[in-house]
Amino acid sequence: MYPAIIEDYQRPESLQEAVAILSGYEPGDAIFMAGGQSVMQAMKSRMVRPRCVVDLQSIAELKGISSANGLHIGAMTRYVEIAGAVELAGANAALRDAAQHVGDRQVRNRGTIGGSCCWNYVASCMPAVTLGLGAIFHLLDPQGKTRAVQADDFFLGPLETARGDHELLTHLSFETTPRSGSAYKKWGLVTDALPVVGVCLKLSLDAAGRCSAVRMSLSGLPAGAQRAPAGEAALMGSDGSRESVARAMEAVVDSVECHSDKWADAHYRQQLIRTLGQEVAATAFARARGEQ
Amino acid sequence: MKTVSITINGERYEETVPARMLLVDFIREKCALTGTHVACTYEGVCGACTVQLDGEAIKSCMMLAVQADGHAVTTVEGLARGAELTPLQQAFKAHHGLQCGFCTPGILMNMSEFLEKNPDPTDEEIRHGLVGNLCRCTGYVHIVDAVRAAAAQIRRGS
Ligand SMILES: Cc1cc2nc3c(=O)[nH]c(=O)nc-3n(C[C@H](O)[C@H](O)[C@H](O)COP(=O)(O)OP(=O)(O)OC[C@H]3O[C@@H](n4cnc5c(N)ncnc54)[C@H](O)[C@@H]3O)c2cc1C
Ligand code: FES
Ligand code: FES
Repeated sequence: MYPAIIEDYQRPESLQEAVAILSGYEPGDAIFMAGGQSVMQAMKSRMVRPRCVVDLQSIAELKGISSANGLHIGAMTRYVEIAGAVELAGANAALRDAAQHVGDRQVRNRGTIGGSCCWNYVASCMPAVTLGLGAIFHLLDPQGKTRAVQADDFFLGPLETARGDHELLTHLSFETTPRSGSAYKKWGLVTDALPVVGVCLKLSLDAAGRCSAVRMSLSGLPAGAQRAPAGEAALMGSDGSRESVARAMEAVVDSVECHSDKWADAHYRQQLIRTLGQEVAATAFARARGEQ
Repeated sequence: MKTVSITINGERYEETVPARMLLVDFIREKCALTGTHVACTYEGVCGACTVQLDGEAIKSCMMLAVQADGHAVTTVEGLARGAELTPLQQAFKAHHGLQCGFCTPGILMNMSEFLEKNPDPTDEEIRHGLVGNLCRCTGYVHIVDAVRAAAAQIRRGS
């Protein structure tokens, strides 16, 4: 299998050049290429048939992690870099949990956080994690205007995002709140497979060690990356005990739609939410207490 | 059509190719380096096409040849020095790390980078490193043995 005819291939060296090339085409006729680990499959199956491929590999500003003035991660930062970034601790450690277990080494050597979020596949890791962490998505349009979109407004359901057809995702930014911890864990059919269910939790603790702020998100369900507000409400004030987490996960199971498919039936997905929920809660509380 | 210049195993290949040509097809058809295999056609799940791009293991069916323009690629043909196999290749031979051999080039290209990053891996780390390479014959036990033995040999040698 190979892609349909591609008329042009461009490798811009600046952000402005990248958006300018894309805006010269009708929506969908030109596409950005990041790591290619989703879009190459789509091109080979002819689901995507671009006339022009705009390869982002040479734009230095899109790459890397910076901790000056808050945490910023360039859209072209690869899983392999996120997996090994020790500065991603505490509140943002879930990024490493996810990156370390995406696909396989070869996929992690190419795939990027920006590509994964812009693709927003229904069963994927980074959309749920950036949603759970409350990331802010920074977009650039061909007129040179930038805008910042909250994760809650960025993901609009499977394969849909708030990114305009001609916008480039430049980077994501994250809060680095103290006494906070996050964690992500998924279950897939084989090691490091796409999530049948994935759970992300981020919480902050007050002086008494009780949960004073929390975000929870899920992946693998029909709605794609989604918040779990019932679980968040139930976790407020929790000290991390198994009983309090179990109550919160029952609230999640009662409030979200779980589906049955050839990978897992709905009851199994509910059980995964309970089990993974306990595991990520234990890790997130420990990280918030500074124990991990 | 685009003219690309890709250095493969130290040799420069300059060719004019359609933009839609996959890197794996460039390697196999334009350069006649058929050690790099294709087993899954488009999902990118088998790892038989694994090569190194600027020293990092990647699946060459998941990339266009034009994207590799100006880069250095290493394929399985680039491992041995003449008749002298690398410690990893020797270990695969000594520990029966292959049966039909179809998956072997991809595994060698992945594991040779893996051992550079992690020269003293546990068995669990080796198995985790192999997730992207399917082998239908061996059951992986002898592959893990070979990688472990190669790691020890390389550590002794350096
Ligand atoms: C074998 C295999 C296993 C995998 N396992 C997992 C897994 O376990 N979990 C998981 O979450 N994912 C998994 N994936 C998918 C993987 O995470 C992809 O890397 C990711 O979804 C896409 O990132 P990319 O950089 O490769 O983007 P690309 O495929 O290059 O691009 C994806 C889309 O985003 C657009 N885009 C990319 N960058 C930008 C930008 N900066 N601005 C605007 N638009 C942009 C592109 O135009 C394209 O439409 C797997 C993939 C494979 C092949
Ligand atoms: S041919 Fe299967 S991963 Fe490339
Ligand atoms: S040796 Fe036959 S597929 Fe691995």
